[in-house]
Amino acid sequence: MFHRLSPVTNRTTRRLLAATALLAGVAGALHATNYSLWINGRTGGGQPGNHADFTYWGPSGTAGGVNKKSVNWDGFNRVADQNYRIRDALDCYCTGNNWCYIAAHSAGNLQIGYALSLYGGTARQKKNATPNASGVCGNTDGTTQTGWNIKWVNVAAGAGGGSELANVGSWAVSDPLTSDLKTATARAMYDHNQTRAKWFYMYAGAAGTLYSAVLPGQDDEAVAYHSAGGVSGSGGAGFCNPSDWFCNDLTLGTAANEGGRAKWSFHSVVFRDDTESFNHYTNGNWGGVVSKVRADMAANAN
Amino acid sequence: MALLLGASAAFLLADAGAVDTSGKAASGAAGSSGAAAGAAATAGGPGGSGPRGGPAAPFSAEGQLQRQAQLAMWQGRYERAEQVYLAYRDATRYPHDSRPIAEHPDQVRPFAPVAEEVSLRKPNGEPVRGVRLRTTQERVFLSGAETVRFTVEGVNEEGRAMPLLVTRAAAQSVPDTRTPVPLISAGLTFVDNGSGADQQAGDGVHSAQLSPSQQGFSAYAGTIRVLAQVTAGGESGVAHFDVIYTPGVPATWAGFREAVENGSLNFYLKVNVSRPGRYVASARVDDANGNPFALLQFNEEVAAGPQEFRLQVFGALLRDKAPVFPLGLRDVEGFLLLPDQFPDRVMMARQVGTVYRSASYALSRFSTDEWRSEERDRHLAEYARDAEAAKTQVQRLQGR
Repeated sequence: MFHRLSPVTNRTTRRLLAATALLAGVAGALHATNYSLWINGRTGGGQPGNHADFTYWGPSGTAGGVNKKSVNWDGFNRVADQNYRIRDALDCYCTGNNWCYIAAHSAGNLQIGYALSLYGGTARQKKNATPNASGVCGNTDGTTQTGWNIKWVNVAAGAGGGSELANVGSWAVSDPLTSDLKTATARAMYDHNQTRAKWFYMYAGAAGTLYSAVLPGQDDEAVAYHSAGGVSGSGGAGFCNPSDWFCNDLTLGTAANEGGRAKWSFHSVVFRDDTESFNHYTNGNWGGVVSKVRADMAANAN
Repeated sequence: MALLLGASAAFLLADAGAVDTSGKAASGAAGSSGAAAGAAATAGGPGGSGPRGGPAAPFSAEGQLQRQAQLAMWQGRYERAEQVYLAYRDATRYPHDSRPIAEHPDQVRPFAPVAEEVSLRKPNGEPVRGVRLRTTQERVFLSGAETVRFTVEGVNEEGRAMPLLVTRAAAQSVPDTRTPVPLISAGLTFVDNGSGADQQAGDGVHSAQLSPSQQGFSAYAGTIRVLAQVTAGGESGVAHFDVIYTPGVPATWAGFREAVENGSLNFYLKVNVSRPGRYVASARVDDANGNPFALLQFNEEVAAGPQEFRLQVFGALLRDKAPVFPLGLRDVEGFLLLPDQFPDRVMMARQVGTVYRSASYALSRFSTDEWRSEERDRHLAEYARDAEAAKTQVQRLQGR
């Protein structure tokens, strides 16, 4: 299910690396803290900059990974002009000795992908994990590091590949974000394969029925499998569950899909909704396919 | 003491190479429920022994279940952590900006038109059965005097061409503001007569070209939406394209050079920069037989004036893949990245096709050393620590 790995060929090197790692770990673990960052999608709802406001997701007391923070952006404006909210949060909690697990929903997929692809190799000020009202943290020692400390990224109903609903204006709104969600625009926005070797674990729902005539293949009522499954190339391609004989399968893991279309690198489908039970929406209670990501964060973001 | 602990744990981790990392971590991860995690947080259960306790009393049935749940959870964590560590270690043998092009499947031909196929939809949004639209657009982002070509054709459900008529088309600005602003619009003509942007007369592919700088958009920055009203199969609908335009050109290309430095082959793209800032550029490298080999990327702050973007073909990548020299540098693109605003980029002119060929070198001139950096060491240390911690928990729960 995961990316195929090359065999371990140099055990000595590996032992040295591990020893280095553990020595560094003993020294650095004293003040190291892990955080779970939740990046919302379209519509928003939480107060931007307030990392304690889980309005978009559901009750804030629900388990969602260690030290969970809500990276609220407005879910209305363009990815580019809101991305500072995500970078501010990554600087806050994912620099210095601190490390992060990331959970993203829908257009939050575009936000974290954009940040990593275009800013993931830039110099970041090490921050103190204490945000002000705008979601900006103070510096620690004035030093910088390259990129962010991220362990992995869970993506529920990812809109990294856009949605055909945005193409045709099925969303009867004129928010700037919808223009970014057009399939051609979303896919051209950045190199989706450039994640700085961070894994994107993709969770794809298939309970959609309302827009089946618009969204190709299986969908969750907002995005189709080609996006939620991290499929590379153009939009518009239909991918389905194995039970559908007349449509190419979205494969689990990193393997190319039936028909040969590859996934973006460092993207692995870990949940495919074979029973068509999970839709796109949180419903204010960690609902839909977000429930699967939440469960995984609760279990494994420790 | 720390050294002893570290060394001991390192060997434990080295032993973990026997663990199958081919795909179990995902199922383990996906299968671990929040409930299991909750149980884990308070685990132990009646009769359970501590991690280093003496002989344990027998577990109650409930205790056994909790312990099994804990074990499953930690096994899942361990498998994922091990996979993350190994994948990162292998991937970062080369730097992030010098990659095998196989890792970037949709970046091999960056200038190929964006092709999509959608159902024809009536004005009320309802799809027309049996009629699909195949569309292409030459690019999504453009700047300055660049143009963009659009095509549309009608096909049936089997993919066979069907007659289509473009009755009207126009391009219009799409302001990202709630404040009323004047709209800019311009008519477009789609033709299938082999003239202008149309490549072949009568093939059913209707083409049009938009030149924003000459059609009223020269001072506009933002989305330009092209709507083409079409009729096919007796039904009318709309084909829909967006491009993102910025006026001006931030920098111009001024040539190439190459150098073997520190065991790698570096291509230098000479650039005259008029607007300083963060530039993002990329180029593809083909071997002498035209086989795509590597994707090179650049992303750095650049001052105004004559500059060079360095694109590195990392030595170990050359040694591992052994491409046939000379190498060709192909399809070069770049833009000025504008943080925190839309549009977020001003494009440089595309350099299409093979624009530079390297000299020929013996592979022995390049280094086999893997990439070293603080970023890589930091990640490997943390990922190794996670794998080790999880493995320790698995062993504890297995009574080892």
